[in-house]
Amino acid sequence: MTWTDEELVARSISGDSDSFNELVLRWERPIYALAYRTIGREEDARDVCQETFLRAFRALPGFRGQAKFSSWLYRIALNLCRDWMRRERRAQVVQPPEDVDLLELAAAAEPSESIEDLVARKDLTRLVERAMALLPAEQRTAIVLKEYHGLTFQEIAELVGCPLSTVKTRLYQGLIVLRRELAKNTKATL
Amino acid sequence: MTESFCGYSGDRDEALIGFLYDDVTGEPAGRALFETHLETCARCQDEIAALRVVRKQLARWSPPEPGFAVTSRQAAVAGPQVGQPSWWREIPAWAQVAAALLFLGVSAGLANLDVRYDRNGLSVRTGWLKTPSQPGLATAISAVPIAPAAVAPSGGPAEPWRADLAVLERQLKAELRAMQLSAATIAARPQPVRATADADVLRRARALLDESEKRQQRELALRVAEVMRDVNLQRQADLVKIDRYVGAVESKVGVEVLKNRQKMNQMDILYRTSQRQ
Repeated sequence: MTWTDEELVARSISGDSDSFNELVLRWERPIYALAYRTIGREEDARDVCQETFLRAFRALPGFRGQAKFSSWLYRIALNLCRDWMRRERRAQVVQPPEDVDLLELAAAAEPSESIEDLVARKDLTRLVERAMALLPAEQRTAIVLKEYHGLTFQEIAELVGCPLSTVKTRLYQGLIVLRRELAKNTKATL
Repeated sequence: MTESFCGYSGDRDEALIGFLYDDVTGEPAGRALFETHLETCARCQDEIAALRVVRKQLARWSPPEPGFAVTSRQAAVAGPQVGQPSWWREIPAWAQVAAALLFLGVSAGLANLDVRYDRNGLSVRTGWLKTPSQPGLATAISAVPIAPAAVAPSGGPAEPWRADLAVLERQLKAELRAMQLSAATIAARPQPVRATADADVLRRARALLDESEKRQQRELALRVAEVMRDVNLQRQADLVKIDRYVGAVESKVGVEVLKNRQKMNQMDILYRTSQRQ
């Protein structure tokens, strides 16, 4: 018999650890994928994934089912990703000034890229990964949640805590940047 | 890129993205309006097409396979997963072949298969009844590959099928016994065969390991020799530099000493001259 997430949550709260294991098995990959696509580093994504389930386990007794379990889990993971990104930004030696466009910088840096970078650019996966890394965190999160997790605009808005129209705008702007970056890099590799 | 004018009256970006993802949360009317607009707007058509291409490219981005620390612990709890190899895959190939042969043998026995090669050619018969004496009933394989089951003679004077049935029963029992015996023999026998196979694999693995170890040692020796050579070269270069530097310092010091001596001589001369005066 297949239990729903909510049933498994209820069983976990009442002390059935196998039910929580089942939830982990069910949601581990989506959470890892979300973390990886948001922060772009495998090791850190794995850490975020584990931490997400750890926090979820601790906070499970307080989960009242106001939202879907998956949304609740996504929110924990996104918060952890945001914390991670903040930490990383603080650790950066040089902060780009407010008025500097990172995309312009990236474009200017292209001629000096290494052979390895050149080879890696032939792989579309890498291209997408790099283009995604150029996006502001909000746009990237919106695209990841919509594109890879199939959430509705409404669900994304609730998850990240912003108006519906903002979600759409972030998505549109993000896609436009990706379009430009992917077109530029694809031409360069031909 | 098309730079044509777009005269959409609403929020174009939002409508476009809603149309692209087919997600019209809260504004179904907006979609209808945008669809009508899209029919005549080349700019929006181009943009939708381009963004669809982007989405296709995005779909090819998959995260690397994680070696989950969380699920590795869970795997034992979760039990067998979909897509895991079946239990029979764990049985060695030779045992599977033996089982297949046994099955074929038993099947042939049960089917009372009679394969004969004589001057009439190869003939294959099946059936439980005795082979009829008439050669016509058994068809040579050159004519028909496999002969149909021999037809039971019907309506014999002393109901011969009873005797045949008794024979069949005995034969069936004997074959079942034989099958059980064979299965028991196979179950008892795999150890030496497996041990031989394991020893063979172990031997090959050891040979590979030895070879790999030797290769690594050779590489290490080569690297060490290279490092030593580099260090020596660098040392020699440094010594030459130091020599040059020391030489330069010495010559500078020597010049200074000479100058000082000259000055002291001059002062000495001046002093003596002044004392004489």
